[in-house]
Amino acid sequence: MTQAGSTLAIARADFLERVRGYGFLLTLLFAVYLGYATARGQLSLQLDEYRGVYTSGWIGTLVALTTTCFVSLVGFYIVKNSVQRDRSTGVGQILAATPLKESSYALGKFLSNFGVLALMVAVLALGAIVMQFLVREDPRVDFWALLAPSLLISLPVMALTASLAVFFEMVPILKGGVGNVIWFFGWSFGIALPKITGLNWLDPAAIFTVMHSLAGEAQRYIPSYHGGMAFQINTGQIKVAHDLRWPGVPWSGEMILLRLMWFAVAGCFALIASLVFDRFDSARAPRLSRQERRRKSANNLPAAGIVVQSTLHVHLTPLAAMARSSAFRRVFFAELRLALQGLRWWWYVVAAGLLIAQFASPLEISRGPLLSVAWIWPVLVWSAMGSRESSSGMRPILFSCANILPRQLLACWLAGVSVALLTAGGSAIRLVLARQLFGFGALVAGALFIPGLALALGVLSGSSKFFEALFTVLWYVGPMNKTPGLDFTGAANGSRTFHDSLWYAALGVALFMAACFWRARQLRSG
Amino acid sequence: MHLVVDNLSKNYRGGVQALRSVQLSLRPGVLGLLGPNGAGKSTLMRILATVTQPSSGRVLWNNMDIARNPDALRGILGYLPQDFGVYPNLSAIELLEYLSAVKGISAGAARKRIGELLELVNLADSAKRPLSGYSGGMRQRVGIAQALLNDPQLLIVDEPTAGLDPEERVRFRNLLSELAGERIVILSTHIVSDVEAVATSIAILAHGQLLAHNVPEAILASVSGKVWEVVVPTSELSALRQSQLISSTAHRSDGVHARIVAKEKPHPCARSAEPTIEDAYLAVLAGRRGAANGAAT
Repeated sequence: MTQAGSTLAIARADFLERVRGYGFLLTLLFAVYLGYATARGQLSLQLDEYRGVYTSGWIGTLVALTTTCFVSLVGFYIVKNSVQRDRSTGVGQILAATPLKESSYALGKFLSNFGVLALMVAVLALGAIVMQFLVREDPRVDFWALLAPSLLISLPVMALTASLAVFFEMVPILKGGVGNVIWFFGWSFGIALPKITGLNWLDPAAIFTVMHSLAGEAQRYIPSYHGGMAFQINTGQIKVAHDLRWPGVPWSGEMILLRLMWFAVAGCFALIASLVFDRFDSARAPRLSRQERRRKSANNLPAAGIVVQSTLHVHLTPLAAMARSSAFRRVFFAELRLALQGLRWWWYVVAAGLLIAQFASPLEISRGPLLSVAWIWPVLVWSAMGSRESSSGMRPILFSCANILPRQLLACWLAGVSVALLTAGGSAIRLVLARQLFGFGALVAGALFIPGLALALGVLSGSSKFFEALFTVLWYVGPMNKTPGLDFTGAANGSRTFHDSLWYAALGVALFMAACFWRARQLRSG
Repeated sequence: MHLVVDNLSKNYRGGVQALRSVQLSLRPGVLGLLGPNGAGKSTLMRILATVTQPSSGRVLWNNMDIARNPDALRGILGYLPQDFGVYPNLSAIELLEYLSAVKGISAGAARKRIGELLELVNLADSAKRPLSGYSGGMRQRVGIAQALLNDPQLLIVDEPTAGLDPEERVRFRNLLSELAGERIVILSTHIVSDVEAVATSIAILAHGQLLAHNVPEAILASVSGKVWEVVVPTSELSALRQSQLISSTAHRSDGVHARIVAKEKPHPCARSAEPTIEDAYLAVLAGRRGAANGAAT
C-alpha cells in the first residue's frame, strides 16, 4: 500500500472508531445544541446595540462564527485523544512495527480529526438552513450566502484545530495537561492575530474579514453606529436595524484563496508534528533532568545486587486484628503526596515565588491578580483528582478495598483543598491580618470549590481533560476578567462577597457529594 | 470460613452471557480455576472481588451476601486483577504504604508488613525506585505484594504468574501453597501446571458454565485408563491429530511421543499412561464440545 493509501486507512479506521463510540453522540448533541441556541437567538452578532435583518448572509455568518468560536475551542479537547488512544490500547506498538511513515500517520490522524469536526460544521450548517426558514425575516433564500461562511470560514478553522490537536499530541511537552491549558490561550491569541500583528490577511478565524464587510454596511444604514461589533450571548437588549440587509461577505477569488491557504497551513502543522513524533517509542522520551538522570543511573546499578531466591525464606507475620485502623490521616497524606508527586523543582519555585509575592504585595494585588495566578498554577495537580485511578489502571485494586468512599475520596478532596490553601497562603494570611473575614471566607470557599469541581469531573469522566478545559475558561472569565459572580477567588464580588462565598462553598461540597454519588455507582456497577 | 457461589449469572450488554448459573462451595485451600479464553474466569473473579455486580445469583461469605455488604468482605480480601496499573511516579514502598492506608492497616503494622512482603516478592533492593522503571514482571510482583498487604482471608489472584520468569513462578506457587493453610485462595490461570502444583480443588469453566469442580484426585480419576502414549513418525502426526484428542507431543530421536486422551486404545502401539490434570482438563473441554455438537445436530 502506498503512503497515501496508509494515510487514508489510518484516517478511516480512526474516524470509524470514534463515530461508533457513545462519546460521538454527545459531540453531535453539542453541535445540535449550538445550532438550537443560534436559531433561538441566544447567540447574536451585534453592531453596537443593533443587529441587521436575518438575511441568508447574516444567518450563515452567525452560524459560521458560532462554529468557529465554540466548536474550534471545545472541539480541540474532543479530538485530542487520537494518538493517546493508540498509545493506551497498544495499537501504536503494532503500527510502529510496520513500514508506515510518521508523516502518513500524522496526516491520517489529522484527516480523522478534521472529519469529526467537519461533521459538526455540517450539523450547524444544516441548522443555518432551518433557521432561515423558521425565522423568515427575509423571504429570499440564498444558499451560497447561507453555506459559504461554513465552507470558507468554519472548515479552514476546523482544519487548523484538527492539525493542532495532532501537533499537541505529538509534541512531548504539549501532550498532557499543560497542552490543554496552553490551547485556550493559544486559541485566544489566534482569534486576535490580525489585531495583534496588524496584518489583515493573518486572520485564521476570518472574524476581521467579517467585521470589515459588516462595518461598511453598518455605517450606511445605522446613523449612530460607532464602529463596535460583538459576537456574544444575547442579553435581550438588541435592536433590529430594518434597513440593514447584509448579503454576507462578498467572497472574491483572492479571499477564497487566502481561506484555502489555511488548509495548507494545517497540513504543515501535522507534518511538523510528525518530525518530533516518538513513534510510540518510550525510550525517545524528552531529555531528562539532572535529578532524573541520576535516579535512572542509580536504578540501573543494582541488577547484580538482586539475588533471586528459589525457595521461601521470608516469614510473613500475621496481621493482628489490632493492626487495623481507619488510618484516615495516612490516606490524606498519601493522597497529598500522590497529588504532588512527579512535579519538577521549578514548579515549587514558581509556587513559592507566588506565595512570597502574595505576602509582599499590597492586599488588593495579593488577593486579586496574584491569587488568580496562584490558583491556575496547580491546575494539573487538581485535574488528576478523581481520574487518576482510571488513567493509571489502579481502579480494580482500589475498588476492592473496604470503605473507599469515606476514606480515599474524602482524603483526595481534602488534599486538593490543602493545595489550594497552601498556594493561596500569602493572601489568606494577609486577609486575616487585615481583618477582612468575608474576603478570607471567600478564599476558603474557592479552595473548597476548585477541588470539588476537579473531583466531580474526574470521577464522572475518568479523564483530567474536562476539568483542565472548563477550569481554564472559568478562571479566565472569572478571576482574570473580574466578572462578578464568576470570580471564585472572591476578589471581584464586592458587596456580594459573603453571599457568593457561601454559594461557592456550598457548590464545592455539593460537587464533592456528586463525586461520592458517582463513585458509589461505579463501585456498585464495577 | 466459607465462600458460597450460589446460582451466579452475569450478562453483558449485547446479550453476551459471561456466567451461567455457576454453583461453588469453598473452604480453606487453593481453588485452581481453569478454562479457555472467554470462559468467564475473570468475570467470576471480579464478582468475587466485589468489583462487578452479578446479574443474578448470590455470593455468600460466611453466610453474608457480599452484594449487600461488600465492605465486610473487602476488609479481608486480597485481590490481584488480571489487568492493573500502578502510579508510575511512586516507588513500590510508597504505593504499598498508600494502599495499606486505604485498606485501613495501622502505620506500624503496615511498615513491618511491607518490608516482609518486599522481601517475599524479591523487590527489597529496588523498592525505592519509581515504578515507571519497573519491568512487567516486577510490576506483577508489586501486584502480588499489594494483594497480601492486609493478610487476607480470601485471596483472589487472576493470572498471577503472567509475565513472571520460571524461577519467580516457582516462588509464587510455593508462596500460594504456604498461604493456603488458613485461608481461601482462588487462582485463575491458563497454566495447568501452576494449578497442578498448588490446587487443593479444581474448577473448570467454559462458556460461562462450570463443567467440573472436584479435588485433583477425583478430576484425575475421571480420565483414569483413558490416557495413552504412542510413538509415531512425524509424518503420521497430522493424521493422528485429525482423529484423536492429543494433549501433548514431544519430538524425540525415535519419533514423536504423543499423549492421547481416548476411551479406547487409539493406536495398535499405544500404551496406557498415568493421567495428568492437563489430560483431564482437555477431556472435560472435549466432552463439553461433544455434548454441544450433539445438541446442535
